[in-house]
Amino acid sequence: MKMKTKAPALVAVIAGLLAIGTPLFAHHGDAAYSATPNVMKDCVVTEYSWMNPHSLIKFDHKNEKGEVEHWIMEIGSPPSMALLGWSRTTLRAGDVITAYVYQAKSGVLVGRTNKVILADGTVLADRDDSTPSRYGTTEQK
Amino acid sequence: MRKAFVGAMVALVAVLVFSSMAAAQAPQSQANQARSPWIYYPKDTIVGNGGPAPKRDLSGTWAGPGSTDAIPTGAPAEKASLTPLGQQVMSQRKPIGRFGPAGTNDPTARYCDPLGFPLNAVYQSRALSVATMPNRVVFLLQFGGFWREVWTDGRALPTKVGGYDKDSLDPTYMGYSVGHWEDDYNFVVDTTGLDERTWVMRDGTPHSVNAHVQERYTRVDHNTMKVSLTIDDPKMYTKPFSLGTYYYRWIPNQKINEWLCVPSETLKYLQEQGDPAGSYPDAAPQRLGGGGGRGR
Repeated sequence: MKMKTKAPALVAVIAGLLAIGTPLFAHHGDAAYSATPNVMKDCVVTEYSWMNPHSLIKFDHKNEKGEVEHWIMEIGSPPSMALLGWSRTTLRAGDVITAYVYQAKSGVLVGRTNKVILADGTVLADRDDSTPSRYGTTEQK
Repeated sequence: MRKAFVGAMVALVAVLVFSSMAAAQAPQSQANQARSPWIYYPKDTIVGNGGPAPKRDLSGTWAGPGSTDAIPTGAPAEKASLTPLGQQVMSQRKPIGRFGPAGTNDPTARYCDPLGFPLNAVYQSRALSVATMPNRVVFLLQFGGFWREVWTDGRALPTKVGGYDKDSLDPTYMGYSVGHWEDDYNFVVDTTGLDERTWVMRDGTPHSVNAHVQERYTRVDHNTMKVSLTIDDPKMYTKPFSLGTYYYRWIPNQKINEWLCVPSETLKYLQEQGDPAGSYPDAAPQRLGGGGGRGR
């Protein structure tokens, strides 16, 4: 390969790597959820369901008035979450976590999370950037 | 010289980007884990081509699209060109990508109905096993625990499925399949007789019972298999189109996980999360910052 063709090739490699790192839509789209997350600290897990199509995390959280709210948030499916270090045993009732929650636009106390911080500081993401969509735009419509 | 320097800097950035991504994606739970033959390790991907492909043999357990980023990217499906009837059926479909779990009428998303073929070959196809039996090649699908029988005894595809003649066969979720080796490395499967309740693609693309799907499996080398699919259905489409090309890689310990659509779990998900979140079919698609989950 001649020198003058190398740089563009490497730029293409970087572009490709960055493209792989681009967040992707959930399989059912995210239109039902607000675009910015609530960062909710001191959430007490009440139930963790490792299941299809999406695992659910239920937790209690005290709002600004001191009232306990019962929340539910979803993460991805077990196979996609397993790639990211999650498992059936990641959480159990009583665990205290910090949750990044995109609340439903409907205003109910359900949401989607993209990050959970465990009591020991472990950060678990809900993202799977490793599998570019094979369906083009048809998946989102 | 200056170009060489620029090239070196670009390469350095590429390495840093790649290494930071690799570190971010390494699952901690697997880092220091003893290997068990009973566990499928998604990140334990095969290296190299494993030598030449065996002749006329797809047997083994394979990791498919979406299982890890080690699976090569193939080609996406084309969009169907629909007949007026196809458009009419399509207009009734509410795909989950736009309507969400609360508003969709996708039968798998709402009721755990089988995806059926060919959707199960292009979606949720993270893993499968192929077994060679007398007169048959059997595809054992991870998602749902379904299997497909591909007859290799030379029989012809049925010509009457779903009609009211006494010799007409019933439509099925997997259809009726025959296969033949075109040469030592290419296995061609033809399928028809598909249940019309199934969707061809996640967007709701319909098909009739007489749709004809052709799959071409190529054993590229010992560790690599690829498949290209096309579908023809004059009742629904104005022309045949490609359902895409997908790659599979040999799984080192030949183990895959059970992965089912469990109706009681789906009901729980819809009642507690999906339905309360609501449906916003006319909202602009959005991605949630930093990821937002990919729940395929």
